[in-house]
Amino acid sequence: MLKQSLLAVTGVTKRFGDIIALDNIDVNFHAGEVVGLVGGNGAGKTTLLRLLCGLYRPTEGEVQGSIDGVNTSIHDMRGCVGVVPESTGLYSRLTAWENIRYHSRLIGLDDDRAWSRTHRFSTALDFTDSLHRPTRGFSKGMRQKTALLRALVHGPKILLLDEPTNGLDVTSARAVRKLVRQLGDEGGTVIYSTHNLAEAQQVCDRIVIIHNGTIRADGGPDELLQATDTSDLESAYVELTKDEARADLPESEGKVASFWRRLMTFRVKGGENNE
Amino acid sequence: MSKARIRLRRIFVVTQKEIVDFVRDWRTILAMVFVPILIFPVLFIALPLFLQGEAAEIQQMDLYVQLQTEDSENPPAELLTLINDANILWTESVLGEETELSIPGDDGAILTAGIENGTLHAILRMRSTESNASESWNYSVIYDSTHELSREAANRLFDSIISWENDVINATLAAHDLSRQEVFDPIHREGESSDSNIATEGELSAMTLAMFIPLVVALWTATAGIQPAIDLTAGERERGTMEALLSTPVARSDLLMGKWLAVATVACVSVIAQLGGLLFAISFLAAGAMAMPSITLVDGLLLLLSVLLFAIFTVAIEIAVAVRAHSVKEAGATLGPLILVFIGPTMFAQFVNLEGIENWWFAMPIFNVTLAMREALMGIHDPTHIVIWVVTCLSYAIGAVLWASRQFNREDLVESIS
Repeated sequence: MLKQSLLAVTGVTKRFGDIIALDNIDVNFHAGEVVGLVGGNGAGKTTLLRLLCGLYRPTEGEVQGSIDGVNTSIHDMRGCVGVVPESTGLYSRLTAWENIRYHSRLIGLDDDRAWSRTHRFSTALDFTDSLHRPTRGFSKGMRQKTALLRALVHGPKILLLDEPTNGLDVTSARAVRKLVRQLGDEGGTVIYSTHNLAEAQQVCDRIVIIHNGTIRADGGPDELLQATDTSDLESAYVELTKDEARADLPESEGKVASFWRRLMTFRVKGGENNE
Repeated sequence: MSKARIRLRRIFVVTQKEIVDFVRDWRTILAMVFVPILIFPVLFIALPLFLQGEAAEIQQMDLYVQLQTEDSENPPAELLTLINDANILWTESVLGEETELSIPGDDGAILTAGIENGTLHAILRMRSTESNASESWNYSVIYDSTHELSREAANRLFDSIISWENDVINATLAAHDLSRQEVFDPIHREGESSDSNIATEGELSAMTLAMFIPLVVALWTATAGIQPAIDLTAGERERGTMEALLSTPVARSDLLMGKWLAVATVACVSVIAQLGGLLFAISFLAAGAMAMPSITLVDGLLLLLSVLLFAIFTVAIEIAVAVRAHSVKEAGATLGPLILVFIGPTMFAQFVNLEGIENWWFAMPIFNVTLAMREALMGIHDPTHIVIWVVTCLSYAIGAVLWASRQFNREDLVESIS
């Protein structure tokens, strides 16, 4: 079955002064998949997420959305997107519910519907009792759950999560992963940045590896293992993010060329599968 | 729902949230409402009462003075009576060999020790001289001006001596069959000067207020907006709340408008609270020292309008500047000196002569508001001036908001240092 593309990133380069954060990347995100953006610190994951929700404008290239098969600008897509930034961004003098309600009102949702949706997801996150507490004293996990509920309140088609389990305890991280997987199983689209490979393997249908502003791989966990001839994702990641400078070394020339050839083949293959 | 209504609703949601956020912070309430309400009553009522109380306390105290005269002379009895009446306890001593009465000799050290242990506060040196007056003396008071009680003792001595001197002058004049008025006031103005002034006391009060109200109001308006403007822009960036907010489908210009309205509301409430405090202080003073200023309803409305326009203008500038800062500290460091940009013209405009003033003054930013406030307080209604300052104030306010809006579209606004 052909999957509907919701967000298409085409030839996008993003520069901040002399720094190239993303370098001519192409990637599509489809309806109903949980995609993990995996990469190290400074790889370009957050920049890509900010491009996807329209906070950044591409220096070159285009980021385009699609609503019901009709191409549209990212700005027009924003009502269909829920975002959990890395910093969570909660107002400490407001309660968790007031934080959520503020965003739902900005989006234009009435309070009853917002409460109904919030209550449903807060039950899944075991967070209902904390909804009317000010967020000032919240733990990192509670803040993350509040931000997640805020992002989900308007029933977004796409959920963008920037390292949502970073700094969470085991129980909280597990609850977040479970909810993300549940959303994916219910047909939601989740784009999830992380540097935790085990988590990505557990939660994501598809993994996009970003390194130094370029996309090094894009496919299912099994496809990544197959493409790199490795037995675990960590080894696959290391193989895929090896420094290009190695290409200059004569003894590695054949191996690098082989690697890029396999990667290109894999990406084309992945593209065929997805389209 | 039409697009305009949706936009208005979103702006209102932002404003409402920001005001709730402010109200829940007791420090904001204290700084924006209570301090402005109390500042004028404290300045006009509590401070003078306190100073009067302190002065009365000192006046009740007995002070110790040494009277030094030549061995062969006695201090004048009339002066001693006046000194006694001034709660001064005195001892007599013989004047030393000083060539100058005003230059302390060994008794300077005695006075210093006396001041420290509270047994002596000043020394009055007197030496009689020859003249045609009924009495003629040279004198000097040795005291320590840095010591409160010594200064008070010297003041009481000076008052007593002046009073005694007046008696001596009157006696001398009487001996020559002259009155004090004949000698010192031969060209005499009849009646009280206030009687011949056609300005009412209310008008005089309004003129007095026009001397400082525009300065205080402008200063407070500019100051009141700083903290909220920083909190809603650089503060949001620093706390990382800006990214989530900008990710919503709300146009940045609408977010800016909502924030601007919230800060302008807080600044206006603060200024109105301050004016309320001022009116209370004046009505209190009206019972005695000062008449109620005669300001008509139109004057009051014009005054209010000028303050409000100034508030929306300054707040927009402050938000635009604060948006560019990456942190609260950076914003504070930028906006602090910016206050001088508002205060400078306001102070300058206080001295501009309103009589025959050129129209272009009312088009100059910041000057125009100060001059408008002065005219309103003075009861001057020049339609040309009013039209010019209202139109230019609105234009500057809109320009400032557009500039702030442009700053709010900066891409780096989502980046946080936290």
